[in-house]
Amino acid sequence: MSGWRARLRQWREAVEKRLPRRWSRALAVLLIAIGIVLPFLFPPSSGFMNATIIAITYAVMALGLNVVVGFAGLLDLGYVAFYALGAYTLGWLGSGFFFRLHIHVLVSPVVNSLQGVHLNFILILIAAATICAGAGALIGLPTLRLRGDYIAIVTLAFGEIIGVVAVNGQSVPVGGGMTLTAGNLGISAVDQPYFPGIGSFSLLNLRPWYWLILAILLFVLFVNIRLRDSRLGRAWIALREDEIAAVSMGIPLVKTKLLAYSIGAAFGGMAGAFFGSYYTVVNAAQFQFGFSIFILSMVIIGGLGSIWGAVVGGLALGYINNYLIPDVLNNLPSHFGLNFQLTQVEFGIFGFLLVIMMLLRPQGLIPERRRKLELTAQIAAEDAQLAEVPGTVAGPT
Amino acid sequence: MRTHPLVAIRHYAGRWGLIVALAALPVYYGIQDLVQGYQVYVAGHAVIHHDLTQLGYDVAQGLSNGAIWALIAIGYTLVYGIIELINFAHGDVFMIGSFTSVSLWGVFGLGLTTGTLGLTWGLLATLIITMIVTGSLNVLIERVAYRPLRNAPKLAALITAVGFSFILQNVGLLWRGGSPQSVPDLIHVQQTVFTIGGVPIQRGYILAFGVMIPLVFALGWFISRTRAGRAMRATAQDPEAARLMGINVNATISLTFLLGGMLAGAAGLVYALYETNIWYFQGFKAGLIAFTAAVMGGIGNVRGAVLGGLIIGVIQSLSDARLGPQWTEAVVFGYLIAIMILRPRGLLGEETREAG
Amino acid sequence: MSTAEAPAPPAVAALRAVHITKRFGGLEALRDVSLDVPQHSIVSLIGPNGAGKTTLFNMLTGLYRPTEGNILLNDRDITHARPDEITGLGVARTFQNIRLFGAMTATENVMIGHHARMRAGLFGAILRTPRVRREERETLARARDLLAYVGLRESVFDRLASQLSYGDQRRVEIARALAAEPSVLLLDEPTAGMNPMESRALTEFMRKLRDELKLTILLIEHDMKVVMGVSERVTVLDYGEKIAEGEPAEVRTDPRVIEAYLGRQN
Repeated sequence: MSGWRARLRQWREAVEKRLPRRWSRALAVLLIAIGIVLPFLFPPSSGFMNATIIAITYAVMALGLNVVVGFAGLLDLGYVAFYALGAYTLGWLGSGFFFRLHIHVLVSPVVNSLQGVHLNFILILIAAATICAGAGALIGLPTLRLRGDYIAIVTLAFGEIIGVVAVNGQSVPVGGGMTLTAGNLGISAVDQPYFPGIGSFSLLNLRPWYWLILAILLFVLFVNIRLRDSRLGRAWIALREDEIAAVSMGIPLVKTKLLAYSIGAAFGGMAGAFFGSYYTVVNAAQFQFGFSIFILSMVIIGGLGSIWGAVVGGLALGYINNYLIPDVLNNLPSHFGLNFQLTQVEFGIFGFLLVIMMLLRPQGLIPERRRKLELTAQIAAEDAQLAEVPGTVAGPT
Repeated sequence: MRTHPLVAIRHYAGRWGLIVALAALPVYYGIQDLVQGYQVYVAGHAVIHHDLTQLGYDVAQGLSNGAIWALIAIGYTLVYGIIELINFAHGDVFMIGSFTSVSLWGVFGLGLTTGTLGLTWGLLATLIITMIVTGSLNVLIERVAYRPLRNAPKLAALITAVGFSFILQNVGLLWRGGSPQSVPDLIHVQQTVFTIGGVPIQRGYILAFGVMIPLVFALGWFISRTRAGRAMRATAQDPEAARLMGINVNATISLTFLLGGMLAGAAGLVYALYETNIWYFQGFKAGLIAFTAAVMGGIGNVRGAVLGGLIIGVIQSLSDARLGPQWTEAVVFGYLIAIMILRPRGLLGEETREAG
Repeated sequence: MSTAEAPAPPAVAALRAVHITKRFGGLEALRDVSLDVPQHSIVSLIGPNGAGKTTLFNMLTGLYRPTEGNILLNDRDITHARPDEITGLGVARTFQNIRLFGAMTATENVMIGHHARMRAGLFGAILRTPRVRREERETLARARDLLAYVGLRESVFDRLASQLSYGDQRRVEIARALAAEPSVLLLDEPTAGMNPMESRALTEFMRKLRDELKLTILLIEHDMKVVMGVSERVTVLDYGEKIAEGEPAEVRTDPRVIEAYLGRQN
């Protein structure tokens, strides 16, 4: 490691060591405060706010996938399935899709008179989380005794199957003339969130949407941090590092892995339900394999296993995909005389990003805390070495 | 005997369960055809047949589709056998093969009016050039993306593979646009050449097998008879030991990618002639199907890949014809999951290292 | 029945392997091996490389299933129990090639060892009730105590396991096994790579474990000084079969044992 880089890292570690717990708490509070106040800096329906809302939702999904791939080390390539299930939960329980039914729970007066199943958005979130938790366990079940690559394939297969069911669900009857999904046409006219006292959300004012997804993000972050520093979190990492040693230490393989799948899926489902409402339609075309890779890239580029990495990765890729490329840089190629728009090479750019990240910085932008400890230890070891050489500054040994 | 009953059940259920599952579709529809009969339109009005001809047609169709998948599956299985990596970009190499072939037809001026002799030489040249292109592409990908990560955790290489897959797809997208493109039916694939037991054998079938069988035999000969082929087998078994024996492991791996890529290119040409349709997304779809075939046959096993390809082709064809093409993907993946549950090592594979 | 009959074990057997046979496909790794480990004793399992010792260990801890035979822990049949269940019942082990969790600190590794004895589940983790918080504190304190007990310097308690010296790693592995509060401890070549001074310290340590913590210890060993010095009983395996069993002095002079070792050196 070159001298100046080592010194830079030493300085950074020293600063962080001096930052007592109180200060990092204060920093967190500050960030949250900024997050809450942010919408007021922009008009109620700005493109930037739209991109931010989408980016935060991606961050929630990235946090979910991070539990599965990052904490527990289970390579899930079919995460889009939980996005789909969450969105369909909204489609089923928050729209007129099941037109034969007439169920209303805590919805706006306008919606109260509509046919279909209409539950309050919070109930839908809970339902989406629950359904996806169950689905996650089901999908995880066949993978339990498989090797890493095979887990990837099986989860990918499940993701594709869900996609096919989504498209063809319009020909799957569920009774009374109703069908399972609306295929590629999509379930439209889904409910917007409604809270008594606040009213119904609308797409003309993005601020309530923003605060809602921010609240969801904070909740998911909270759960993640608690899990990471718990008995269960340690069990996941142990399983990831060395499965045989982990089970020999008393960690139940099946239960622990299934919990990882379930929790990761639940977060994805909540984000999916939110997207369903925000995009105002639940459409089979939204659920492609590419999306699974998209979320996986966020986790990897952010830093596998790192909570903040997942957030940063989600936000970064969200902004790049929904703001930077389509709105800001789309015409960049034409400036160079090239005959296409940037959105047409989105795919390729992502692919390129993935390749570059893996080759140059596989640990991601914000490496997992424990990897950072590795670097700290390396520095400590170097310090000790330096101390042994006569003429340099005497060290602790 | 103190073997736990559940262990024994699992062992036998695995192999036989898989065979039953695979036979289920043809057997079911065969019986249905014989008992219920199926409708055929002859000279304008419907006639009910009670024979296996329809099934035979589906199976023949499936086998020749399967021959294409087999060629692609071999590439997956060779690469996985030697470096334990799922080369996600392989399907897209196949797609590039199709695109390259079609472009070469333009270069050679092959069209619907070209005479037989010109067509033969032209297609042969196309085959060779395409194989060189895709083989080199595969080698390039290995060199750039996988070799640097050989000692990194498997996840990193897998992600890189996916990244390259996306890059290649985007190349295809820019090359020929986002919609499926029709290509001239150069050899009149649907023309019946002869029939066996009432089942028409189309030109396309002969094409598919005519390309696959020689290539598979050539590959088999190469692997078992040449020094380089032996090096491949040795490296697949134990890279460290191979290195100690003086085998150039890097070159052997590159060779494996070359061969796999060449076969994918051949598959690409056959596909273009057979389907008369190419699409930038075909590689992804084909890749998943071919990978399923490789896994079903036993990953790392070339014969298994061929067997798997043929079986998957038949399943696909039956599903297309009887359940409807909109469900076929789900059916194929359902089978993939079934394999993983019942017998992860596949039909011809050896014991996989299961977790714990 | 095995050819080498040992005198009847005096105390209740804590761990018993009864007529264990293990076949891997065509390969027979163990044939009709029976082993008794009496309560509060130290028993050594020795034999040339490839004799099947670690295979037997793996079956005692549930990683493999015997093809034939049973395993009993305090007279309870654990032949088909899962590894984590067996750990929960009080059997802990170390590994021949140290298998610590590299991405965790020494302390965290030991805390993992305590997993089976903790109760905090999913909701406990999220809600962090006072009981859960107390459990975490206690586990952390216990982990640090165990690390000190095995002789690790406090300065490396929070070092990543992959950064520790070999000797320290061995210590952490033992501490991690102890964290499971076992009644039976299985040590797979604990003195591998140690110099004579360290081996002697470990031998003392094993006696301490048996006396202070009332443990039953079964160890695989190659170092004869350790085996002779600490074992009350020795069992010898060769090519998957038990060829001798008894007190150290007897076994050492058993001609079959000598042949097995010397023969192998050719």
